[in-house]
Amino acid sequence: MSVKGQDVDLTRAKQNTGVWLVKVPKYLSQQWAKASGGEVGKLKIGKAQGKTVVSFNLNEELTVVECSGEKVSSVRTPREHPFAIQAVGGQTLAVFTESPDKVALEGMVVHRAECRPAVTESYMKLKKLQIEESTKPLRLSQRLDKAVTTNYKPVSNHSHSVEYEKKKKEEGKRARADKQKVLEMLFSAFEKHQYYNIKDLVDITKQPVIYLKEILREIGVYNSKGPHKSTWELKPEYRHYEEGQEDEEKLE
Amino acid sequence: MTSLGSSSSSTTEYVVRVPKNTSKKYNIMAFNSGDKVSCSTWTQARMERDMSNRRIYGEEESTDGAGGSEFGKKQREEARRKKYGIITKEFKAEDQPWILKVNGKAGRRFKGLKKGGITENASYYIFTQCADGAFEAFPVHAWYNFTPQAKHRTLTAEEAEEEWGRRNKVVNHFSIMLQRRLREQERGEEDEEEGEKGGKKKKKKGGRGGDLRIHDLENDLEISSDESDESMGEDGEGKAKTKKDKGPKGKGKKKKNSDLEGFEDSDDGDFEGLEVDYMSDESSSEEEEPEKTKPNKGEDVPKGIDEMSDSEEESEEENKNEEEAKEEEEEEDGKKTPVQVEKKKKKDSSGESESSEDSDIEGEAASALFMKKRTPPKRGGGRGSVGSSRTGSRPGTPSIDNAATSNTLRAAANKLEQGKRQTVVSSSETPAAKRLKMDPSPQSSSGKSTPQPVSGKSTPSSRLPSLPFSDVQLTEDAVRRYLIRKPMTTKDLLKKFQTKRTGLSSEQTVNVLAQILKRLNPERKNINEKMHFYLTE
Repeated sequence: MSVKGQDVDLTRAKQNTGVWLVKVPKYLSQQWAKASGGEVGKLKIGKAQGKTVVSFNLNEELTVVECSGEKVSSVRTPREHPFAIQAVGGQTLAVFTESPDKVALEGMVVHRAECRPAVTESYMKLKKLQIEESTKPLRLSQRLDKAVTTNYKPVSNHSHSVEYEKKKKEEGKRARADKQKVLEMLFSAFEKHQYYNIKDLVDITKQPVIYLKEILREIGVYNSKGPHKSTWELKPEYRHYEEGQEDEEKLE
Repeated sequence: MTSLGSSSSSTTEYVVRVPKNTSKKYNIMAFNSGDKVSCSTWTQARMERDMSNRRIYGEEESTDGAGGSEFGKKQREEARRKKYGIITKEFKAEDQPWILKVNGKAGRRFKGLKKGGITENASYYIFTQCADGAFEAFPVHAWYNFTPQAKHRTLTAEEAEEEWGRRNKVVNHFSIMLQRRLREQERGEEDEEEGEKGGKKKKKKGGRGGDLRIHDLENDLEISSDESDESMGEDGEGKAKTKKDKGPKGKGKKKKNSDLEGFEDSDDGDFEGLEVDYMSDESSSEEEEPEKTKPNKGEDVPKGIDEMSDSEEESEEENKNEEEAKEEEEEEDGKKTPVQVEKKKKKDSSGESESSEDSDIEGEAASALFMKKRTPPKRGGGRGSVGSSRTGSRPGTPSIDNAATSNTLRAAANKLEQGKRQTVVSSSETPAAKRLKMDPSPQSSSGKSTPQPVSGKSTPSSRLPSLPFSDVQLTEDAVRRYLIRKPMTTKDLLKKFQTKRTGLSSEQTVNVLAQILKRLNPERKNINEKMHFYLTE
């Protein structure tokens, strides 16, 4: 993650280091990722008839392709990869690195290149393999031998409803508690939030609805319209909220 | 690194390494080559993520447990979103644009937007050569396209829409931004923005934005940009061309013509409903009025400056104007009255002390941003501009029939004249300018001015009273007064005592003035390479 407004390390940029931007095929980058030691191959730069010829040779051990399924390395990636060098053209490309603590400018791109595989038999086979894999659909329809009968079986009483009834029995009917206590509960609830649904209040206070409503009518007001519809809130004189993000200036 | 000697070519081999486990992520910073960015010129750079989108993306958490919150709001919102299948994208800091600031506050700013999809089909690697000759390849993590951010003022979308609608009518695109800035009360100088606008300048069709005409010249001249030149060439208006080369005269002519041409269509209908202060048959400078009204509708500030410059212009380009004027009307001496009246009126309306106006104008004009060369007659109002440099807001209405109301104007002017007892600065009008004003009035036959709606009116000569003003006398006293107030050149003095007002011919004026100067023997001073006379009391 970058820290806000950090200075870019321009030391390497000053050296005017030129780098190459090389477009590499996917399979090659996958092979490179497998390389353990770091060395992936050799780059040959030469001149032939006045033009620079660059070619990359993949190391032998990296040509083994992992395939899904049973086939084992019957396909190998090509080894020769000539580079097609292009000019940088209508863009000025620079390279910058981002590390956890800093951003640094590494250099400018002087050449663009495309790493092309030398077209060989092995490459064709590799490509065929790739295409086969990509044409496989992600989802398959499978035919079942027997119909599934285990899912929906009729029960006399579903398990969760059994639990529910048990719970209800335990709780019993709600008893009217002392008014003062209820008021205390309500006030503490309204301290946490401003607007409450009646159902939620019943839940919190465990009071019968009618009784609760009576008490609420004393100290609160019901919002039938507006953004907080059908909610109860305390009367203005009882409120004492601080300025929240949603402006609520209260008077005591 | 091994060298292999091959038969026809020499190839060198390098080892390529792909380092693992680097915590550094390599990214590409792409600039458009047109922006001419060179990293080597950067002395200092700062980069940070542009987090301005966070509030859009991030769920804005309303107060929890404070006033205004509901119980269970979050859960309810979540349930609602699931119900409607609303999927909001997360705010990923990784994907946010970069803001790059180069060379501190005064340097350039760039915004770098992430380019998507570069890692989908192929991978990019950066090949760097190490000290040992081996190459190291680093995968490119992301690609950002950096574009420079404008520091100049830009129009908002609404304003741009507005201007787009007016593009055919607006001639002077420079003023668009200028007025915007004035509105913001900032003093900005025209920058490339206006150059652009100049480039987009199109032919004016029909009327021109009244407030813009004045600026046309000023800004054109000021910018003195090639851009304007090319862009303006299109119409053959010659505005740009005449800018530098030909000077006000040519410009004035062309401008006037084009103006007049442009006005033709609109002239007739435009002034029908307008109220006229003084009813009178016609005015000598009536045709100038239409032109003037339009520009007069414009803003005061630019106008004022323009007129100031105009006045200075006139004083300087007197000769040129003279020639031009002489072409058109020769025996229109009689007309000077209404014109003078006009001018006077203008000045009166400005309500300023006249005598020093001229000099003030000059001084101001010189210090004004805008160049001196300009065509006074462009608006045909050039004539009055001098005196009314401050007037700026010369009302359009009266000016229509201005000359027409010469009689009453003259009367009013006379009174004021006497009241102030100062040499009317009407003399600030160059004779040429005056004549120039007459131009439109007389004949369209002059070929220079296009037919004005006024053409129907009787010729100025018939209207003009024949007696010249005699309140301006070329006396030693008058000269002394001038010279005490301010150093003046002979030219200035001549302007003060214009032949039409003093009733003397130009030769006589010169002679008399020379005699007076001999008698007074004023001190001399060289200002701006010109010999100025002055007296100290």
